[in-house]
Amino acid sequence: MIAAAGYLSIVVALVSAIALTVQGVRVSRSPNPDPARVKIPAIGLVLGGVAAFTLLEIGILTHDFSIAYVAKNTALATPFVFLLAGGWVALAGSVVLWGLMLSLFTWLVWRKLRVGDGLGVLALGIIGAVAVFWFGLMATAANPFEVCTEVVNGFCAASSWWPLSAAAAPLDGIGPNPLLANHILMAVHPPLLYVGYVGFTVPFAFAIAALIRSDTGRVWLDRTHRWSLVAWIFLTAGILLGGWWSYEVLGWGGYWAWDPVENAALLPWIAATAFIHSAIVQSRRSMLQAWNFVLVIVTFALTIFGTFLTRSGVIASVHAFSLSVVGPVLLIFLGLIVFGSFGLFAARASTVASSPRLDSLVSREGFILLNNLLMTLFGFTVLFGTLYPLLVEAFTGREVAVGRPFFDRVAVPLAILVLLAIGTGSTAPWRLASGKVLWQRTRVGLNVGLAVAAISVLVGVGSVSVIVIIGLAGFVIANIVAFYLHQSSRAHGGGKSWPTALASTVRNDRGFWGGQVAHIGVALIAVAIGTTSALAIRTEVPLAVGETAVVEGYCVKYIEPFSRVEPTRNVQGARIAILDSTCSTTRAVLEPRLHEYPKFGQVITTPQVWTTWIDDVYLSIASLSDSGIRLKVLIFPLQWLVWVGGLTIVAGGTLALGRKRRDQSATPERGEQRERADV
Amino acid sequence: MNNVSVQMSERRRGLVWFIVPVIALAVLVVGLWPGADPATDPEARAYNLAVRLKCPICAGESLAGSQTDLAKDLRIRIADEIEAGSTDEEIIAMFVVNYGEQVLLDPPAAGWGIMLWAVPLGALAVGVVAIVGLRRRDRDPAGVEK
Repeated sequence: MIAAAGYLSIVVALVSAIALTVQGVRVSRSPNPDPARVKIPAIGLVLGGVAAFTLLEIGILTHDFSIAYVAKNTALATPFVFLLAGGWVALAGSVVLWGLMLSLFTWLVWRKLRVGDGLGVLALGIIGAVAVFWFGLMATAANPFEVCTEVVNGFCAASSWWPLSAAAAPLDGIGPNPLLANHILMAVHPPLLYVGYVGFTVPFAFAIAALIRSDTGRVWLDRTHRWSLVAWIFLTAGILLGGWWSYEVLGWGGYWAWDPVENAALLPWIAATAFIHSAIVQSRRSMLQAWNFVLVIVTFALTIFGTFLTRSGVIASVHAFSLSVVGPVLLIFLGLIVFGSFGLFAARASTVASSPRLDSLVSREGFILLNNLLMTLFGFTVLFGTLYPLLVEAFTGREVAVGRPFFDRVAVPLAILVLLAIGTGSTAPWRLASGKVLWQRTRVGLNVGLAVAAISVLVGVGSVSVIVIIGLAGFVIANIVAFYLHQSSRAHGGGKSWPTALASTVRNDRGFWGGQVAHIGVALIAVAIGTTSALAIRTEVPLAVGETAVVEGYCVKYIEPFSRVEPTRNVQGARIAILDSTCSTTRAVLEPRLHEYPKFGQVITTPQVWTTWIDDVYLSIASLSDSGIRLKVLIFPLQWLVWVGGLTIVAGGTLALGRKRRDQSATPERGEQRERADV
Repeated sequence: MNNVSVQMSERRRGLVWFIVPVIALAVLVVGLWPGADPATDPEARAYNLAVRLKCPICAGESLAGSQTDLAKDLRIRIADEIEAGSTDEEIIAMFVVNYGEQVLLDPPAAGWGIMLWAVPLGALAVGVVAIVGLRRRDRDPAGVEK
């Protein structure tokens, strides 16, 4: 029943998406495009998308094991949160989630359209075309509502795409992949990432619509500015939570491993970061029109590429959780997007205005260009490193691997340059920054940066690159804070009280200050990556019950082993007390565990972390026997700063969302005045 | 009077601007002069080696990141070799002999491996040329703004 209704809603969404595309193109060509004429297909798409997702969740929550997907990815004993998350733990379900978001975004875009808006109607048609692909995928290669037709040994052994096939339901399902059902973060991380991925469909669609209509001014960019920012914020949050999940679940104490699937999420983020910055240059200085088209197309293509990498199994990865025939389909879609978009771009190149009025490289726009160069280089190199094993294998048949050493070697120098560019450039005036102004706005940072670097040496950081990064982070933060206080003090001098002055500085240009908050977040993360990599302590101690060991100012004591049987897993653990260095006062008790999932024959090492202001104590069981345990004790200084820095970036993006672009509605003269006031 | 105090405070501020960087630079120079070698601690050395090596049976994980039994054994092997006095290069060479070159997460810059250096550097060159070109076009009379 649910399967039939679910499949029907996919078909409704698919048909609506086709209608939306056709009708969107037709209506946009009419003399006075009326969005009301695409309302019915838009509504159909939304209803279909919402219904498909809801029905899948109902099927999961009611344990309808006649649906093959439900029988495979959930079980009676699966805890509620992971049942809900069951909607996106595997390929078919995650495509449904993708479709849900795309259809909701379609609705949000439709609501903003007004009569006469040909660009918007055509963009909606493009979104419809993208939806045709996703719902077409659901209706064929990745059907989440396949009916289980044969049960062997209690497992669903065969399934049929036809929703009215005679169903056979196993008594219980298999359940989600243990790695995905081991931590609550796995329920949150994919949806956030997907909002980010799917969100870039909107700016992409407007860009393509603008190219088709040869309406290549800044209209498409201004209209999708907030969409890009929202998608970027969610992508940032999604990546951050993914790192946190790795740290809490994978048991080796890291949060980033340069794994292909991690890179797949990072690549669109890098492109989107470049896009957000270069969009500012276009709206302020009317430069980079062509480049912005390139960036938005690349960003969108990379979201598809990321999905392809995650879902095709073409590259071995810890996170590649589903292998299927969907790979080739995604690859064809990716090819269509890349060749179609760039073909269109090439055909319209003559209509894209080129007015490169770069007065000086030493200016705000000059530094943003530097940002774009660094981001492009970073993205390209990460992409190249990720695909390199595939290339070599294709040409020589030899197996090679590219991992952390390569990516670190690229990322560290680029990070140094990025911090230098942020610290110098984000407060530099537009057009031309004289040496004097530049010196005024960076000297505080230079001193603070040097002082912070010196302190890090005193604290015991030995790695030169980490010292440089910590110093530059101090440089960035101090320059931004100093500029903020300077601007506010002018408002204060104008008669405002300090709190009002501080608040009004931000309120007058939320876009700029939101960006600066995000820059501070980047600097904080840079510091944390430095300290957690250069100052980490990694050691393994053998402990019998009652024994203690001292590790870097902490004393760990093995209190007792414990074990319990939970519905989906057997838990074996060790109760470990963390005491002060003299082993007299207990400061925390941790329970690192081994989770055994008998159905999967899989044991997952589940670490536990105790966080203080100074460092994280990360305990993980290396081996557990009757005579005692081997306990991994990892200490990561300032680990919390990684998460706080990430949250700061998200907060900065959110602050920038509320920006009121005054110069947009104002006359050119007022725009000019504002520009001068900025200097 | 007022003028004098302003001068005083400015001079004092100038002094701070002078002293802070000088001290900081001194600390940096002294602190980094002997070329402090962070990789003498055997556990840190073992980790740094494990990061450079791929777990032979895993899906794209390094020896440091993998929780498989083989990876655990190989980590112990690395620790034993370090204790026995092997250098980092000797341990890496031992792994290459046992598991082939695909065990290296950082392919050597020879043969195809040269591309891992050449391609990013080539991209950098293209980018720099593009940006400098953007600046140059400004001086070109044809590029005069409308």
